Amino acid sequence: MATTALPGRNYLEEDATTIGAWLKAWFLTVDHKRIAILYLLSINFFFLLGGLAASVIRVELITPQGDLLSADLYNRAFTLHGIIMVFFFLIPGIPAVLGNFLVPLMIGARDMAFPRLNLFSWYLYMAGGIFALTAAIFGGVDTGWTFYTPFSSTYANSNVILTITGAFIMGFSSITTGVNFIVTIHTMRAPGMTWFRLPLFIWASYATSLIIVLATPVIGITLLLVAIERLWGVGIFDPALGGDPLLFQHLFWFYSHPAVYIMILPGFGVISELIAAFSRKRIFGYEFIAFSSMAIALLGFLVWGHHMFVSGQSVYAGLVFSFLTMLVAIPSAIKVFNWTATLYKGSISYRTPMLYALGFIGLFVIGGLTGIFLGIVAINIHVTDTYFVVAHFHYVMVGGAIMAYLGGIHYWWPKMTGRMYNEVWGGISALIIFVGFNMTFFPQFIVGYLGMPRRYHVYPQEFQVLHVLSSAGATILAIGFIIPIIYLTISLWKGAIAGDNPWDATGLEWEVSSPPPTHNFTTTPVVTREAYDYPPDAAEVDAANWRPGSPL
Amino acid sequence: MAHHEHEHERGHIGPATYYKVFAALMVLMFLTVGAWWVEGMLNIPRALGVFIAVAIASTKTVLIVLFFMHIKVSSRVTQLYAVAALVALLFMFVITMGDYFARGWPPELGPLP
Amino acid sequence: MATTTSTSSSHAHADHGHADHGPELQHHFSTAAQQKEAATLGMWVFLVTEVMLFGGIFMAYAVYRWAFPDIWAEAAYHLNTPLGTINTVVLLVSSLTVALAVSAAEAGKRTRIIQLIVVTMLLGLAFLGLKAYEYSEKFAHCAGYSTPIEWVTNTNQHAVYECLVPGQAFLFPADKTTGASNAPTVAGQPTPYQLFFLLYFIATGLHAVHMLIGLAIMSYLVFITWRGTISSTYFTPVEIGGLYWHLIDIVWVFLFPLFYLVH
Repeated sequence: MATTALPGRNYLEEDATTIGAWLKAWFLTVDHKRIAILYLLSINFFFLLGGLAASVIRVELITPQGDLLSADLYNRAFTLHGIIMVFFFLIPGIPAVLGNFLVPLMIGARDMAFPRLNLFSWYLYMAGGIFALTAAIFGGVDTGWTFYTPFSSTYANSNVILTITGAFIMGFSSITTGVNFIVTIHTMRAPGMTWFRLPLFIWASYATSLIIVLATPVIGITLLLVAIERLWGVGIFDPALGGDPLLFQHLFWFYSHPAVYIMILPGFGVISELIAAFSRKRIFGYEFIAFSSMAIALLGFLVWGHHMFVSGQSVYAGLVFSFLTMLVAIPSAIKVFNWTATLYKGSISYRTPMLYALGFIGLFVIGGLTGIFLGIVAINIHVTDTYFVVAHFHYVMVGGAIMAYLGGIHYWWPKMTGRMYNEVWGGISALIIFVGFNMTFFPQFIVGYLGMPRRYHVYPQEFQVLHVLSSAGATILAIGFIIPIIYLTISLWKGAIAGDNPWDATGLEWEVSSPPPTHNFTTTPVVTREAYDYPPDAAEVDAANWRPGSPL
Repeated sequence: MAHHEHEHERGHIGPATYYKVFAALMVLMFLTVGAWWVEGMLNIPRALGVFIAVAIASTKTVLIVLFFMHIKVSSRVTQLYAVAALVALLFMFVITMGDYFARGWPPELGPLP
Repeated sequence: MATTTSTSSSHAHADHGHADHGPELQHHFSTAAQQKEAATLGMWVFLVTEVMLFGGIFMAYAVYRWAFPDIWAEAAYHLNTPLGTINTVVLLVSSLTVALAVSAAEAGKRTRIIQLIVVTMLLGLAFLGLKAYEYSEKFAHCAGYSTPIEWVTNTNQHAVYECLVPGQAFLFPADKTTGASNAPTVAGQPTPYQLFFLLYFIATGLHAVHMLIGLAIMSYLVFITWRGTISSTYFTPVEIGGLYWHLIDIVWVFLFPLFYLVH
């Protein structure tokens, strides 16, 4: 149903006439959609900041000498990059922006179960961010984002406590989001919205929330213990007292390994939506994808020791962790197989979100398979702390999580703003990101396997070619990230009116107007059909209707 | 606690149950202090002492959770979440202690040189 | 999933009017039962995070108790077990009063709710007072006084023979039965004894912080009950506030034997 103007009374519309009323309407809003917009802006700000730190790192690494940064400054640069990207972009990214916006819409609820808690989580996020930024302004941190003791607790001469406080507060922000998601999904589903009619994004968000709720408090207390150790001068992890620094690593990775799934699981959810929508087919193996999310959430708690193979952990524990790590590959592979099976005989249209989704599958497979290499103790010992590891987790985090984030933003952009982005520029920038990403990180596999250690700002001459290649790729990648910001912003004024369902997709979120009204649904929807209920002949109809010039 | 069938049917726990649970908690508390006092005189293995203390504490917790916190009459989901924390703690304790047991104390790296 | 939308008349859930429920039902819930279920589940999920928060400390405790069993037994002897026992009783009684307050709330007896919650708060304050006394005892020893009272009144200062507060002044007495007669060893010994007391202070300190939050919640409950928000049809705040209080109790149920009753 194409309309010519944005429908009246949507959540973006304003009664406020004064600046004060406008500020109140946005900064004290309890509307999940407005909170999602607040998160969108702040998370993208932190993403750009983390990207800036990454650029500094890549510029430094163009030459083998340390000519731009000193060793100490370089430590602070990669720590800033890691902390911002992990704690302030990847962990809250998809859940807080897309999840906040979509969870109530997708399940047919008028809002989250706890709207004020939802707003509070954004304030916690900002408070944590301010602590981390303050730490950066006053000289930064040099511990790496992992805060390993005893370096962080005893020796580091930088703003460890400020940063830890920031990460601690941000942890509570994700906990409140997690609690909200779990309760919302359990209690707020519309009549008829049974568990197996839920969109897979909801399953993924639920699994993510489960991890958040069970794991995040542990990092909270662990970081608190490090802060106490620095403040008090005596600590739980202090080897001088007989304490064991490895205990810190156990507690840290008890959270931080599951945290990897906090970053990627919502991405899986987004990709499931995109693949189904742009193949115009019911997703293949719905139950398998849903349960594999839960399986990943569960198995994610059992494998943290693969970050500690060379730490002095028992070799027996290492073997067990290595075996359990292999198991994680199973649910991950189930997802990839089901996505590819969904593509089979689908009516695939290469719109921008789909380009990101296809890029995701390829890059995530590379990231996941190298993860299996790294899960094998013998190979891990060979490549521990090299660029091979760096390349591996960037394939999962950038190639996976960020591709899914961007794909999701593009897919739901018409729903969030009511307007279409520029499809040509969308496609171009998706390709630029794909090329730039591979150019940045593929050489890092090679240079890492050849022995280039991570976290060094100088390196032997023979690695320069690969590093220059990587830095050149990073430039392309940066351009690829900047273009969407420009055309998405322009689309707010110039974009074509999207209509309620520009993708002809299924799902409750597409049945409300774009942008949705403040209370989402004027009458509570009653769900009577399965998720991704595309008509069986959708592919044939699409093919018959295709004309030269219509979108791919 | 065998006498709550009628409450369970109504899905409701009343003051009479609370008093009984409280009495049980007090008994268990004196039991744990008493056990500690007796263990001080006997020479029993340490592990057994820890086991007794943790077993009594767990029993108290189960009583509080089931009756004071109404888990006995709560929805299935709430009951699941009450157990979820236990499962996650179990993962953490079993796996971490497994590593420590395998290494021994002071830690040894294992059979490799 | 393609759906059909119902009209308000065809489905009870779609009722958007505000006729058949009280003002406490927030707009985004359909029924009071749904709101109550959400609040209860939300509190429980939050309690799960609290359990995991303390779980990290218990994990460290487990590792070090396993590593230093003798040191643990010796160090635990220096905690005030009688006070710890009294505190356990105090907390268990307060759990009972909270449970009874929830019962009173179900019956809609406002005066009784307020009475029971005030008793709970007094018990909570008593717990914190005893805890503060235990802490100050440890700090008084570091300053060279036998009791906190002597410290405050500045009488009978003597040489420091023990200091159980971890840090530079930490001094663990050489003989575990008497303490006073032993010649002090060097202050600030880097020994695992410090780990025990550090864990003790962190665990009980974090517990005390939760107690303060619990007291704040209880005062809020007294306020809203007094204002008349609580009734026999709407008593969810009392119920979930009670859940939080019980959790504090449960944490102490574990802290008590693990720190005070060690051999």
